[in-house]
Amino acid sequence: MITGRGGTGKSTFTTLLTKYINAKPLLLIDLDPDGSLAKMLGVDLEKEGKLTISDALYEVIGKGKDTKDVPDLLKRKIEEGSIIYRDKKFDLVTLGTKLAPGCYCLPDEMIKETIRNINKNYEMVVVDSPAGLEHLNRKVTPDIDDLFVVLDPSEKSAKHIERIKYVTRGVKINYRNFYLVGNYRFTDEIEAYLLRTEEKYLGRIAYDPLVREHNLKGESLFKIPEDSPSSLSVKKILVEAGYALAS
Amino acid sequence: MAKKVVSTGRGGAGKSTFVALMSRYLTPPSLLIDLDPDLSLADMLGIDFQGEGKKTIVEALYDAVNERKHGGSPLTSVEDRFKGLIWGDCLYEGKGFDVMTLGTKDLEGCYCYPDHLLRKTISQLSKNYKNVVIDSPAGLEHLNRNIVSEVDDLFVILDPSEKSFIHIKKVKAILKEVGVTYDHFYLLANYMFDEESERYLKEMGEIYLGKIEYDKKVEEYNLKGESLNKLPDDSPACRSVRKILEKAGLV
Repeated sequence: MITGRGGTGKSTFTTLLTKYINAKPLLLIDLDPDGSLAKMLGVDLEKEGKLTISDALYEVIGKGKDTKDVPDLLKRKIEEGSIIYRDKKFDLVTLGTKLAPGCYCLPDEMIKETIRNINKNYEMVVVDSPAGLEHLNRKVTPDIDDLFVVLDPSEKSAKHIERIKYVTRGVKINYRNFYLVGNYRFTDEIEAYLLRTEEKYLGRIAYDPLVREHNLKGESLFKIPEDSPSSLSVKKILVEAGYALAS
Repeated sequence: MAKKVVSTGRGGAGKSTFVALMSRYLTPPSLLIDLDPDLSLADMLGIDFQGEGKKTIVEALYDAVNERKHGGSPLTSVEDRFKGLIWGDCLYEGKGFDVMTLGTKDLEGCYCYPDHLLRKTISQLSKNYKNVVIDSPAGLEHLNRNIVSEVDDLFVILDPSEKSFIHIKKVKAILKEVGVTYDHFYLLANYMFDEESERYLKEMGEIYLGKIEYDKKVEEYNLKGESLNKLPDDSPACRSVRKILEKAGLV
């Protein structure tokens, strides 16, 4: 799971991780209602005829179906192939934006159910989180192997780490590794400080004008060359975390 | 009735910085509400909430629930207990403005109940203020919760990315479906905008109020966790925020 405060670079990290990790088949989950992972991967879900979980859910509810039938109907949608986008390198499921009043408990519950149903088909499941903490309270993934927290260089990030631990402890989310990743604004001084703490700090995502440019224009980060600073640094972080890189 | 002002936007755009700087120019008295569980507004205003003996909404709610569990009268509901606590425990009273924060929850489930209590509280409290300003958490979910259904001024703070432009459309779609009304929908550019991307904003057909200028000191203070109150009035960030508020008629 990749998490962190807003604007730190969670989806950028997730996208580059997807490109360089050696895990097949790989399932990506975009848990952010304001999600942009598909776009960053160069996927136009609408054009591909795929529904987000929220779309599918409210399509079902809109037809006046009983909510207790929703899981089955959703399962059918998955079987019909209208939820999972399949690519060479990854499969993708997105939460999507909900237009009805109320919280994301029901969509999150549905995506949790979806993950439970299909995760056995994958070697790895990668979840890109929305900014903030509320998604943790919803416990979409109760057992996490590697939890990456992407940080910006601010005091707020330090507090954010403590809050993540507080919430995961409270709602009983288990993780094996708690990894810290610095974003492009990190300095050597902050890195040196983090390396002296007990936390597992893996390195920083290097500043890369190409990332900025691609995100500004809404272009896929998959197009960024392998030897660009961001790519090289993400590969280094993945190796540091013990992952094998795709050749 | 107080003017209801909401600041929203994608993560890291600068929502809390805007609200923190706004607080010094608004006509007093104002109530600032930090709706972000990953709270930082109080820090940015130099308020040590805990040190002041103040509680978050979530903490007061836990207290209300515990009181009821440990022998409190069954005649008083949790909600009524909470109402009794909120004035004394949760409201930080400052100079020119008061502050209230949602707080972090460590129980499973969403923030619907704390948000619901806050919605009721806001409608009661707003009688006492000229302005009620809400600093939102990153993203969209808080909008679905309809915490303030009649917003006067909605500020959307943007970073220069295509995602920001998509974000604007999503915000509008949700507000419409959920039934939140607003008098003004204002766009603000954050410090990362250059002239080219600013031009793009101006041509969106929305009311664009200007840019929060880059300010080395803001970056430095946020890094160290220091209060933005120390920022001089003639600093680039303060001057630009003041200009924006003047345009919106809030000064």
